[in-house]
Amino acid sequence: MSHPKEAPASENLEFSWGKKRGIGGKKKEVQFYESFIFDRDEYCLFDCVYLYKDGEPEPYIGKIIKIWEQPQNKNKIKVLWFFRPKEVKNWLQDFEPEENEIFLASGEGVGLANINPVEAIAGKCNVVCTSKDSRNPQPSEEELSRADYVFCRTFNVATCTISDKIDDKIAGVEVKDLLNRKGGQSANGTDKLEVLQKKGKSNVVANNEAAPLVMKPTASGSLEDGTIDEKPCNSVIKENGDVKPSFVKQEPLAGGDLVSNTNLNLKETDATAFVQDASPVDESTLPMLVASPVAVSDVKEPKTSGRSVQKVQNKKKSKGLKENTSLDDRPFKKPEVNSSTVKLQFSISPSSPVNKEKDENTTPKKRGRDSDEINVKDSGMADCASDEKSKSKLVKDSLEKTKGSFKVTESNEKLVKLSNGKRLRKAAAHSPEKNNVTDDKILEVTRRPDADRSKWFKGLPWEGRMESAYNQGTLVLLENFDPAYTSSEIEDIIWHGFRENCTARVVPRTTFSSPHSGQAFTIFKSRDAAEMAIRKLDEGCLLLPNGRPLIASRGIPPSSSGKPPVFPGHIVIDQIKRQLQREEMRQAVSTSHCSQPNTIEYEMAMEWCLLQKRTDSCWKDLYKGHGDEIRKLKANPKFK
Amino acid sequence: MGTSAEKEYADFEDKVKRTVYFDNLSPKVKESVLKTALSQFGTVVGVQFIPNYSQFNNMPLCALVEMESVKDAKNVTTEIVNYPFMISGMPRPVRARPAEAQMFTDRPVKPGRKIQCRWVDPKEPYFQVATELKSLARNHAKEALCLLQLQLEEEEKLAKEQAESLKEKYNKFKIIDNLLIDGTMRRLASCYNMNVADE
Repeated sequence: MSHPKEAPASENLEFSWGKKRGIGGKKKEVQFYESFIFDRDEYCLFDCVYLYKDGEPEPYIGKIIKIWEQPQNKNKIKVLWFFRPKEVKNWLQDFEPEENEIFLASGEGVGLANINPVEAIAGKCNVVCTSKDSRNPQPSEEELSRADYVFCRTFNVATCTISDKIDDKIAGVEVKDLLNRKGGQSANGTDKLEVLQKKGKSNVVANNEAAPLVMKPTASGSLEDGTIDEKPCNSVIKENGDVKPSFVKQEPLAGGDLVSNTNLNLKETDATAFVQDASPVDESTLPMLVASPVAVSDVKEPKTSGRSVQKVQNKKKSKGLKENTSLDDRPFKKPEVNSSTVKLQFSISPSSPVNKEKDENTTPKKRGRDSDEINVKDSGMADCASDEKSKSKLVKDSLEKTKGSFKVTESNEKLVKLSNGKRLRKAAAHSPEKNNVTDDKILEVTRRPDADRSKWFKGLPWEGRMESAYNQGTLVLLENFDPAYTSSEIEDIIWHGFRENCTARVVPRTTFSSPHSGQAFTIFKSRDAAEMAIRKLDEGCLLLPNGRPLIASRGIPPSSSGKPPVFPGHIVIDQIKRQLQREEMRQAVSTSHCSQPNTIEYEMAMEWCLLQKRTDSCWKDLYKGHGDEIRKLKANPKFK
Repeated sequence: MGTSAEKEYADFEDKVKRTVYFDNLSPKVKESVLKTALSQFGTVVGVQFIPNYSQFNNMPLCALVEMESVKDAKNVTTEIVNYPFMISGMPRPVRARPAEAQMFTDRPVKPGRKIQCRWVDPKEPYFQVATELKSLARNHAKEALCLLQLQLEEEEKLAKEQAESLKEKYNKFKIIDNLLIDGTMRRLASCYNMNVADE
C-alpha cells in the first residue's frame, strides 16, 4: 500500500530535528529522534497527525510512533493508524460510533501501521482518548471540547473486530504512550492560541500580528499597544529589507500557481489583482493583504466546522499549491467542509507567497472570529497607511467577500460540478428527495452517501464473511439484474431501493452463467434488514432499467462441507500410478502438454471435446430460449 | 478526476483483452502450475482463480490468466483450441477462451452508466408482467441449474466409461506384453513358422 506521496516541493518547507534518541540500523546509519519541526509545527513522538493522500477525500489520521532519519536525508515516521468509522463500517456491527469517534488500530497485519515520509504530514490532529480504562488519565471537559477526534475502542486489523479493550502493547508501543498524556495534552496549536489570547486583547493586534510575525517576532512587540498608525507600518517596511529577496523569489511562483488554479472566477480575479498589485507596490503590503483576507473570509466560517478542519484544509491547501496540484484535484467530503474549503481558498490564495507563515496566518485567524467589522476596517486602515491603491482593491475584495456568503455556496456547487462525475453524482446523492420527486418515482441510482471508500484495507476474505453471514441469516442472493453491473452498483441499488447499507459481490461470469441474469451475494447489516429486503422484493417489484424486476432469495454460500472437490475426467492407471507417484510429485509443476494425435489420450480427449461442444450448444439453446421467453412476456399485448 | 475513472476503466478493458479464461481445470491446479504450463506461449503476469459459487463440489475450476500482451493471450487461446491441452492430468483437456469483463468480480464501474430503478405500483398493469418476469427468472435459474447438473452427470459418466475402457485396454496390452516377455510369442512364431523379428 502506498501511502501519502512525498511532497515534491518539500524543500520549501521548513524542517529541523529536535531531541535525538538512539542510533540504529545495521551500520548505525539510522538516527532516531524524539521530535522534529516541520512546517513551523513541532511534532513529538506519539502526537497525532493528519496524513494526506492524493485522491482521498479525507486525510488519514495516525499517531507518530517512531521518528528517524535514514541516509540520504530521508526523514521517516512510523504511523499507527486510526480508522474512521466509515473505513471499517463493514465490521461495525452494532457499534454506534459517535460523531467524532475513531478507532485505534490493533492486532497484527495490514492496516496497523506504516512508514511514511515526514512530508506526508498534513497537520496536527488533536485526538483524545475517552476510554474509561484505569491506565488512561481521564480528559478534562475542556480537553474534550478541544478534541478533533476521540477514541475509546480499538479495531483489530487481523480479526476485523472492534473492542473496548486496549492491549498492553500495540505495534510495539506501550499502552501508556497511546492513551492520554499525564498532565494533559500538549497540543501545539491550542497552546499557541491560549498564549495569543493572553497576549492581545483587541483584534487589532491579532490581525496585524500576522504581518510582523512574518518578518520578525520582535515587531509584534511594537504592535501590542494596539494603535494603528504609520509607525508600525513603517517599521514593517523597514524590517522588510531582509525578507524582500524571498518575496521577490516567491512571487512569480505564487502567481503561476494561482493562475493555474483558475477554477473560480472570483478567485482568479482575486489572485491576479493581488499579484498585479503586489509587484509594483512596496512589499510591505503583502503581509497586510495576507492578514486581512484571512480574517475576513474566516469570519463567515460556520462554527460547526471545527478549527482543526480549517487548519488542516488550510495546510493541505497550501501544500497543494506548492505541489502545483490544480484545485479540482481536491476531494471534498461533504457540503459543509466543501464550503469551508471554498472559503479558505480566499484566505489561502493570497497567503501562498508566504507559505512559511501559514502558521501565523492560522493563529490570528482563530482569533479573528470574534468580530469581522473591526478587522475589515482595520486592514483597510493599515493599508491606507501603506498604499492607496491596494486599499481600494482590498476593500473591494473584502466587500465582495462579505457579500459573497451566498456566492460561496453557489460556487461551491459549481466546484463540485466541475470536478469529476463521481463527485457530481455524490452531490446528487445528498439530495435524494429532490431526485425522487422530480423523477416521478424513478430512483436515480447514484453513489450512496457514506459509501465505503477505503480501498487499501481489505479485511477478511469474502468467502469467510459469506459463511458467517449465512449463519447469521444476513446473506441474500440477488438475481435477475443486468450482468454488466458491478458490485458497487448493486450496493447502490440496494441503498436506493431499501435505504440499507450492504456489502455486495457479484458472482463472476463463468462458462455456464446466464447472459440474461446477473447474480450477486449481498451481506446485509442485520437479519431483519435481509429478511425485509427479501420480503419486499418478493411482494413488490423493484424494476431495473432493463425492465426486469430484481429477485432475492436467501443466499447459500458455496459448498464448504469439507468434502474435497471432485474432478472427473483425469484418469490414472492404478499400477502405473504407484510407480510414478514419487517421480510425479517431484515434477508436479511440469505436467502439462499438448496431446499428440496418435495416442489413446488424444482419442479420449476428443471424446471430451465432443461432450464439451454438445453441452455448449445445449447451454446456448437454453439461454436463447430464455431470452425469447423474456422478450415474449415483455411484449405481451395483454398488458399494453 | 472524471478522466481518471475513464482511465481506470480503459486500463481495465486492456487487462481484459490480455486475459484468458480457463475452465475445465482440475482443482489440483495451482497458480505455479498454470504459470509454467503457459509460459511456453508467452509471459504470464497474473493468475486469479474464480471461486466456485455453485452448490456442486464437482465443478471444474475456472481461472483468469493475465498475459503480458494481447498477442500472447491470442496465442494461448488459438493453441489450446487447436490442440487438446492437458494440465495436471489426462485425458480431459482444459479449455481456454478470451476473458470477458463480467468475469472479474473487482471490475470498476463503467463510467457514465446511469442506473434507474423504481418500485412498481401494484395497480400498474406492468406489475403483473413484472411478477411473471420474476417467476420466469426463477424458473430459468432452475432450468439452468438442472442443465448444469445434467452436464456434470454426463461428465462423470464419460469419465467412468473412459476409465473402464482404459483399464481394459491396459489389461490387453499387459497380456501382450507378458506373452512377449515369457517367450510364448517366440515359441508360437516358430511353431507356425512365422518371422516376428523385433523391429
